[in-house]
Amino acid sequence: MPPKSSPGALEGIKVLDLTHHIAGPYCTKLLADFGADVVKVERPEGDATRRMPPFFHDETDIEKSLLFLYLNTNKRGVTINLKSRQGREMVKDLAKDVDMVVENFSPRVMPGLGLDYEPLRELNPSLVMVSISNFGQTGPYRDYRATDIVEYAMGGLMYIFGTYAGVPLKHAFHQAQFKAGTDSASAALMAMYHQRSTGQGQHVDVSIQECVASGLRDVIDNYTYTGGVRRRQPNHNGDLTRMRAVSDGYILPNPGITARMNWDVVADFLDAPELNDDKFNTASAQLANAEELGEIMDRRFLEKKKYETFFAAHELRFIYGIVQSPEEVMADQQFQARGYFVDVEHPATGTLKYPGAPFGMDGTPWEVRRPAPTLGEHNRELLGERFGYSDIELSQLRAMEVI
Amino acid sequence: MPAPLAGVRVIEMGQLIAVPWATKMLADMGAQVIRLESCARLESYRTDALFENEVEGEFWNRGGNFYEHNRNKLGITLDLGQPEGLSILRELISIADVFVENFTPRVIKNFGLEYEDLQKIKPDIIMVSSTGYGFTGPWANFGATGPATEGASGLAFMTGYRDGPPVMSEIPYTDYVSSEHTVFAIMAALMHQLGTGQGQFVDISQTQASSATVPEALMDYSANGRIAPRAGNEDSAMSPHGCYPCTGHDHWVVIAVATDAQWKSLCQVLGTEDWLEDERFADGLARWRHRLDLDELLPAVTRAWDSKDLMNRLQSAGVAAGAVMDSSDLLFDPHLLDRKFYEVVSHDPSTGMPPLPYASRPWKLAGTPAVPGEAAPTMGEHNKLILGDLLGRTDEEMANLEDKGIIGYGPTNPRPVSRPSPEEQVRLGRMQRYDEDYRERLNRAYGTEPNPHT
Repeated sequence: MPPKSSPGALEGIKVLDLTHHIAGPYCTKLLADFGADVVKVERPEGDATRRMPPFFHDETDIEKSLLFLYLNTNKRGVTINLKSRQGREMVKDLAKDVDMVVENFSPRVMPGLGLDYEPLRELNPSLVMVSISNFGQTGPYRDYRATDIVEYAMGGLMYIFGTYAGVPLKHAFHQAQFKAGTDSASAALMAMYHQRSTGQGQHVDVSIQECVASGLRDVIDNYTYTGGVRRRQPNHNGDLTRMRAVSDGYILPNPGITARMNWDVVADFLDAPELNDDKFNTASAQLANAEELGEIMDRRFLEKKKYETFFAAHELRFIYGIVQSPEEVMADQQFQARGYFVDVEHPATGTLKYPGAPFGMDGTPWEVRRPAPTLGEHNRELLGERFGYSDIELSQLRAMEVI
Repeated sequence: MPAPLAGVRVIEMGQLIAVPWATKMLADMGAQVIRLESCARLESYRTDALFENEVEGEFWNRGGNFYEHNRNKLGITLDLGQPEGLSILRELISIADVFVENFTPRVIKNFGLEYEDLQKIKPDIIMVSSTGYGFTGPWANFGATGPATEGASGLAFMTGYRDGPPVMSEIPYTDYVSSEHTVFAIMAALMHQLGTGQGQFVDISQTQASSATVPEALMDYSANGRIAPRAGNEDSAMSPHGCYPCTGHDHWVVIAVATDAQWKSLCQVLGTEDWLEDERFADGLARWRHRLDLDELLPAVTRAWDSKDLMNRLQSAGVAAGAVMDSSDLLFDPHLLDRKFYEVVSHDPSTGMPPLPYASRPWKLAGTPAVPGEAAPTMGEHNKLILGDLLGRTDEEMANLEDKGIIGYGPTNPRPVSRPSPEEQVRLGRMQRYDEDYRERLNRAYGTEPNPHT
């Protein structure tokens, strides 16, 4: 590993970040964490995420939303009221010398403010602008509202998720937003790659619904190939890869091809001699006697411990997995060995552990150079200096609700 | 206007989703992606979702999941177990910008394909390794599947019905999450390479990438020592917030109410104005406290509605709502059709498959559109193009490679596959239903003009 503070992969890319909530900020966090210079513009009340739980010590303070703190590392922050003419002029001016503007307002907002791509491109011909929205910038659902659960439903992931007989389910938290943030960061860099190669900017339209719908194995192809509508799977109890409870949690068994080649090894591994029986030793027998097989496995797994079984399985090259709680994730020896969780110091919370690099880059490492900005933290540094405002003028702008 | 990644060459040695989905996205945007396959170990996605359930002939060229994840790539077969196969791979790496693989470190070391080995062949190469738990550390050589990384990341633990066990996705969800991060990682490395001429080694831990998307849980534990209970479709602030049954079998709508105004609109659309007088639901906090009551009350009302009608009515009234879409809902959705999200791709005539629509990409780059979609390669389809035209092997040398089994055009030992009949699939509950007229419907919406078996 090179020493810290070697330049990030995206060093030299300047981003004007007009995003809020989760999808946009995760996009610009990825850019910032890998070295881009990101200036985050918040409305004077602050990004809505500042009011989203969980909070540090449950103190509902706009500087203590853990989600906000995580999503905005490495960014500098200013406040500008886009509803004021002066505020919009400031944004236009800031857009003149950046490589990229990222925004995730609903599609009518930026044109309504005169801040859509065309007027900005006139000021900065090589500008890349990334617009992230629930359903994209065009189409009949363009103005529909969405939250994460709506994206799960309309992106096709929800219909196939959950128990067979139960209500369709979504993942906890805000997975659709994170998917969109990641895809937007990728698309932003594709446009940047083109800009750096040719000098040409362009507008990028990312739809969160399509981010969800882009990753659906077995759904679309089953229909287009056979007319079949895939649904939540019945997951019978004899399924060898079904999640099982162990004495201290849940395990994800997967004996792989050994189940087909050496069934006795699988039976031995479970300390279940009763499985060494013609009733269970082939795939069709397993299906025919699924309930009985499932009961034996349920019983045997409950005698086992999660990590012990996981490590023993990998000794045999079974592809077992484990379900880890947040506590276990933070303590797990693999994450620890790789230094995944990093200490970040922020004035409102002191030092906390944050999830770190989503991946390693050995030449240009991920790095937290600064914590998330406090509200308006860089107004003086960025707006004062750039526009020549004195401290008195900045406080007047604040009183006029421009910043 | 050339596609944004025109001129970038990627060598891919991946399987299933985590790497192939990422390189498909690069290929769509103009990169030349050369994908290696083994004839000895047939990729299992070549035998999933076979067209028309037809198991005879070259079924490995009719697998839906393979086509879904490998569009616009050039495919060659190569036996890396033979030194000559490995040396062809090295030749390819020597003229590539990116080499991306998802084997365990043990296998990569055995092949002599670690980053320092590659640098000797191509000093500015970008090498991307995608593994379940990362290239280093005590779990580095543990094989992993999508469920394993979903489980290890913390996401699965937090997901599930109230008072129930964790619930896993039924598709390898975190494979996609890590794959999305892999596209970004490759693009970041390419940006750096473009600016400095330097390559590097990129180490993708599918678990780390997935954990990066559950900060709500990990930060809550880190700061507050708390682990929130599993709570189904509930939200930490909104209520009602859930999935409710509609008319018909297995039809559902989701509703998410954030404000008093939306609550009022919801009650007006549903004709349940009496709820507005109910003090349990007087304000946002009260509704959140009584969210289980709402989840109990709503189904009786929503059941009278068609899911799409209710979605459209609620959306017109300013309430976030969505029909829970199945595969045919997605393919024939007026919005996704309007945005041309599904793109029709033609298949090699030898497959007997008509052109079919596939999911495209979640982004549209106005100035540099994606390249026109070419179907994923049949096995060995581009052996001649890559080994012959690009690497200069003569016809005689190609024949020799084929004799030695270093290249091929189909699996070495194809094991016959079987498919349950559609009736059986429905009986087992794996499929909701089969639309017998699906090809006519696809033809009407996409002009696929199916008539391949004449």
